Amino acid sequence: MTHPIAPDAVVHVSGLTKRFGSFTALDSVDVTITRDKIHGLLGRNGAGKTTLMQLITAQDFPTHGDVRVFGETPMENAGVLRHVCFIKESQKYPEDWRVKHVFASAPHFFENWDADFAERLIADFRLPTRRPIKKLSRGQLSAIGVIVGLASRAPLTFFDEPYLGLDAVARQTFYDRLLEDYADHPRTVVLSTHLIDEVANLLEHVIVIDEGRILIDSAADDLRGSATTVVGMRRVVDAFVADREVLHRDGVGGLASVTVGRLDDAERRAALEAGLELSPVSLQQLVVHRTHAGSAAFEVSA
Amino acid sequence: MTAVTGLPVTPSPSRAPARLSKGHPMSRVWNVVRLHLTNTWAMLVTPGIILGVIFLANLAIWVIITRAAGADAPEAIEGTQYSGAALFIFVYMMVVAVQAITVTFPFALGYSVTRRDYYLGTSLLFVLLALAWSIVLAALSLLEEATNGWGLGGHMFTSIYFGNGEVAPRLWIPFAGLLFFFFIGAAVATIYMRWRMNGMIVFWVVSLILVVGLAALVTYTDSWPAVGNWFSTNGVVGVASWSLVPTAVAAVTGFFVLRRATPKN
Repeated sequence: MTHPIAPDAVVHVSGLTKRFGSFTALDSVDVTITRDKIHGLLGRNGAGKTTLMQLITAQDFPTHGDVRVFGETPMENAGVLRHVCFIKESQKYPEDWRVKHVFASAPHFFENWDADFAERLIADFRLPTRRPIKKLSRGQLSAIGVIVGLASRAPLTFFDEPYLGLDAVARQTFYDRLLEDYADHPRTVVLSTHLIDEVANLLEHVIVIDEGRILIDSAADDLRGSATTVVGMRRVVDAFVADREVLHRDGVGGLASVTVGRLDDAERRAALEAGLELSPVSLQQLVVHRTHAGSAAFEVSA
Repeated sequence: MTAVTGLPVTPSPSRAPARLSKGHPMSRVWNVVRLHLTNTWAMLVTPGIILGVIFLANLAIWVIITRAAGADAPEAIEGTQYSGAALFIFVYMMVVAVQAITVTFPFALGYSVTRRDYYLGTSLLFVLLALAWSIVLAALSLLEEATNGWGLGGHMFTSIYFGNGEVAPRLWIPFAGLLFFFFIGAAVATIYMRWRMNGMIVFWVVSLILVVGLAALVTYTDSWPAVGNWFSTNGVVGVASWSLVPTAVAAVTGFFVLRRATPKN
């Protein structure tokens, strides 16, 4: 079976459905992941992010649909899987291992493994290499995953909420090293996260998934301009947004703040002439509005 | 420390390859063996230490018997030929097999190893471990014989289960025995990885029914003497050889069960 796949598609998923008993985790999903870009896979808990990544990396079996990675089916395909690295949220390590054992075994499985880079990252994250895995904190466990994911330099790397327990400094270190190394060694990265604002500047492409369906699949730049918040006197704002789709509405006294879709240049001028203020909408706010969810769901801190 | 700059830019090694290199199948399988042996303690060092401690305890007991029994000592100590002191290693290796699979299977899949390569590598590891331990046990049994039971007439590695004739059966009996326990452990572990607790419940209930059913069948057909006969005519070596049948069934079952297993937490 052949598919018309874009030449720069690294992953091509079509009609992908995954059911667990009566629960549909993924519902006929179509998505393409393009070469050498950093993708954000965003969505609420239980939206289907992990399931999608598990199906793409052949950890789990689809109910229906087709998955292609590097143009081939990944299931039991060593040629494909050797070029994939999947860092799981709660990776379990062998009970009797020390930290150093992870970094001793990983190079056998990733042909681009950079031992010097791994050394530097271990120092950056202050990871005690001789300590038994059992005695590590949640954040230190996450740091192991982050280091393996970065130093493996796999052409296709998945990070599934890799930051659990990492403090703000360590998370920033992760984002900085990812961006630096990505600049030197372009590769395809998929980052699944709740902390949208933190990674917003990293992402080139955004995929939002909700209740097993793809809600947004768009270049990050397009997405940023796709909504604007209009602020001003309630009466004036209401008149301006009267026949537009309203994504979100806030107000205090006589003031209103309303988020609407894309505005063209003429519309922006009209708004400014009417005495309204326009402000960009953050990626996080946009995703929250689009998933029709309370923002609480996205404020789950690491 | 290597400088950050000066890394090769063209051709960038991390770009998705135009043609997917699969690597040599044998090296992929060998990588799984190396993964299991990253920490050698569980497979080699810990059982070695346990074996040493049990051996020392046995020596102490033989000394006590020799002192206490006086003139009757040689006869008393002859009873140690039924010693099961070294048998722990078989059960221990079954536990090793179960742990190796339940812990490293989800981990290896995270390293993007195929289920096939994982199972073949793990099986190769078990064969190599069985070989290594049977050589150790055979060597110790020869040493025990040469030193006349460590100077005390004791039996630990020359107990009746291990044979005391040629070198070949001394190697073959523990080798086949270890293989049996490794692959039974592996099969049970794969059932757990595939169907979790439900799989375990069904497996143990079915096993229990089979064992009780077989025992009942043998009893009702008055076949116990025939069963006893079978064991005595085959001898330890024959039984060891026949154990390869259930070992092979377990090994093949484990392969097909694991092929559809998923690494759920």
